[in-house]
Amino acid sequence: MANNRFINTWLRDWWDIFCHELKQIFSDGGVMLIFIIAGLAYPLLYNVVYLNGLLEDTPVAVVDDADCSDSRRFIREIDATREVEVAAKCVNMDEAERLMRDRKINGIVYFPRDFGEKLARNETATLSLYADMSSFLYYKNAMIATNFVMLHEIGQIQMERYSLAGMTEQEASQVIKPLGYEDNNPFNRTFNYSLFLISAILMIIIQQTMFYGMSLLAGTQRERNHSFASLPDKLEGHGMIRVVLGRGGAYWLLYLGIGMYIAFIVPAIFGIPQRGQFGDILAMLLFFITDCVFFSMTWSTLITRRESVFLLFLAMSPICLFLTGCSWPTVAFPGFWKVFSYIFPSTFGVQSYINLSTAGGDINAAGSQMRIMILQTIIYFGLSCACIFAENWVIHHKEVIRERKDKLARKAGIDKVEDTKIIAGE
Amino acid sequence: MNNWQRILSVARRELRIIRNRPLYFMGSVGVIAFCAVFFLTFLNNGLPDNIPIGIVDEDQSSTSRNFCLQLDATQLGKVVRYDSFSAAREDMTSGKIAAVCVIPEGMNENIQAFKQPKITFYVNGLYFVSGALAWKDLLTMVNLTNGAVQREILRAKGFNDSQIMGMIRPIDIDTHQIGNVTTNYNYYLTGILLPGILEMIVILVLIYSLGAELKFGTSRHLMDTSGHSIVTALMGKLLVWTIVFSAIGFVIIMLLYHWLHFPISGSIFNMFLAMFLMIIASEAAGIFILEMLPVPRLALSVGALYSVLGLSLSGFTLPLEAMPPYIQGLAVMFPLRHYYLFHVQEVIFGAGFAGWWDEVIHLLVFLFVPLVGLSRLKNAYIHQNFPKE
Repeated sequence: MANNRFINTWLRDWWDIFCHELKQIFSDGGVMLIFIIAGLAYPLLYNVVYLNGLLEDTPVAVVDDADCSDSRRFIREIDATREVEVAAKCVNMDEAERLMRDRKINGIVYFPRDFGEKLARNETATLSLYADMSSFLYYKNAMIATNFVMLHEIGQIQMERYSLAGMTEQEASQVIKPLGYEDNNPFNRTFNYSLFLISAILMIIIQQTMFYGMSLLAGTQRERNHSFASLPDKLEGHGMIRVVLGRGGAYWLLYLGIGMYIAFIVPAIFGIPQRGQFGDILAMLLFFITDCVFFSMTWSTLITRRESVFLLFLAMSPICLFLTGCSWPTVAFPGFWKVFSYIFPSTFGVQSYINLSTAGGDINAAGSQMRIMILQTIIYFGLSCACIFAENWVIHHKEVIRERKDKLARKAGIDKVEDTKIIAGE
Repeated sequence: MNNWQRILSVARRELRIIRNRPLYFMGSVGVIAFCAVFFLTFLNNGLPDNIPIGIVDEDQSSTSRNFCLQLDATQLGKVVRYDSFSAAREDMTSGKIAAVCVIPEGMNENIQAFKQPKITFYVNGLYFVSGALAWKDLLTMVNLTNGAVQREILRAKGFNDSQIMGMIRPIDIDTHQIGNVTTNYNYYLTGILLPGILEMIVILVLIYSLGAELKFGTSRHLMDTSGHSIVTALMGKLLVWTIVFSAIGFVIIMLLYHWLHFPISGSIFNMFLAMFLMIIASEAAGIFILEMLPVPRLALSVGALYSVLGLSLSGFTLPLEAMPPYIQGLAVMFPLRHYYLFHVQEVIFGAGFAGWWDEVIHLLVFLFVPLVGLSRLKNAYIHQNFPKE
């Protein structure tokens, strides 16, 4: 009987808190701006910026001092690659360097005078590639193009030389390539920059907008001298779990919608591959969102004023992106930052989203990440309860704390009256 | 009181505010210090090494074992052995290994018999850097193995070593990486990311500093102090903040190019200039945003969106040419873009004034932008007729 009553009041309290929080969210323009506009528009914006994601036809200049048929063929073949375009033929290196400084070209291919002679003498002929390192993608393109053309040319020249050495054509072709290879890049065939980056950014947007929105609300409540953590009076300091689950439920419900939009609809609009099973991704998304809710609830406790979250934590967004391991590989993380990356749900959310949705793995492919997310959820749930408890304690001991502060100020000789004129805060 | 004294009294007032709100200190010095420590230690290695590459060796011959040993011995790769392809593929999909390389059964015999066996490898291009590096490493190994086999054959046929070299490698490429000889990601990324974060901080802190006057209703006190001149008020505030941000900026430049010896082909003093110009241009951008939207909360949200976009649109990772044309034009709105172009000329090419003078002009143009909305801001400060939240 008593048990039943407890459950009933628990559920009623939970429902009240849940509704109250939803009302708070929807009546606050700033929070709606973050949740709705940023949550909906950011993903579109980033997709537009990284829409192509492929750098093609990087302009290079050639300086052909050799001026022989081999160098000319080499140049034609470079020009024909997808990666590089021969934008200028310069008479000397000075001219090419000037073009590079003017940012007209991003690489120089130089054939020395003896290039053709060395080839004729059966020696190794060396050509030089000067790559602009201002973006590594320029360098990558110039490298790939010249190296593939080189490998192709080597095959051709070897054919000639081996037949001169008295091999039959078949023998020669067998000697030239005793071991073949076949390379596959099944998930990202052209090393497209946008595929991995957008997948990562999408999940980070979920986490960051939720955190910013929740912090805005927490800051606002505090500015109005309420507290986001105030328990219903009748509970007399009990019932933290109700509050955490009630408030969390509101965000969880909202982000179910936003999260599904970001994880399913946005990639579909822009043609990002969605190779995974809908059910798997949805399950992952639910774990991730739950994790994000408790994560945001814990850390938003630090926010005392409405706007301060942007000043303090906006720079965390690019850092979170690095911590996912999508660009810089996780194996190369220094030990401390590896541990640090366990603070954020995004580290594991991004990895499992990429593994499931973009790479098309089954749920096992995100198994280890999901186990960590569950662990994070449990820890952050405990922490958010603790934060609410601490917040309550502070509210009930406000007078004592203020007295201490004043005493300190008097000791340090700070003119409180003049300060309040400027600050006009509290 | 003359105007200079008024500017100083606004500056003194600003210092008092900074002392009373730890947020300013945390949001500027605290954030940049954390980011500097993060990026510099995170990317300290410069280039990742020991990237796990899965190998499924179905051959188990001396050649295949040698192939694995050689691959393991490269700086880039670290071999992880698998018994079945499906296990390896699963680990690749889940991101544990960067690539899978399958050595077919009978590879050794087939090489000896000139049947041209094929090594197959699969790369996970969604973990970008590790995938690309693993791919490069595997390709190099296959070519080296080919060369080794050829050398044996040619030796058996009685060629001498210098002839063999010409046979195996008729063409060679000698690559020069201008401005970053070792393909160091730390030099490449941190050199722009830290100024980028600073741009973000300048815009946000300045919007907050100017907006807080409206939010807490202290703007009339500010106008009284400045003798009811908006220009004087801004001057006083900017005096304090420009000194603070420039100090941070100069420390960043010193840190990167002097203490940590990042390569720079031009002069470090020119980079001080670039940094200073980027800071004042960002300040102008921040002021402009608040003038147009004298509601601190909205202005901060817009400032946040704007400054985060600046990192992408500076074009230092994905070059601007690869973005849609209508996005390319927007890039000039971001001070970081001009800083990056300046950086390319000075740090990478060492071109000096001739290379970057137009970027200086672009950055200076930003200073005229806030003039548009001065009266609007003054009205907002006097009438406080905008919503405070």
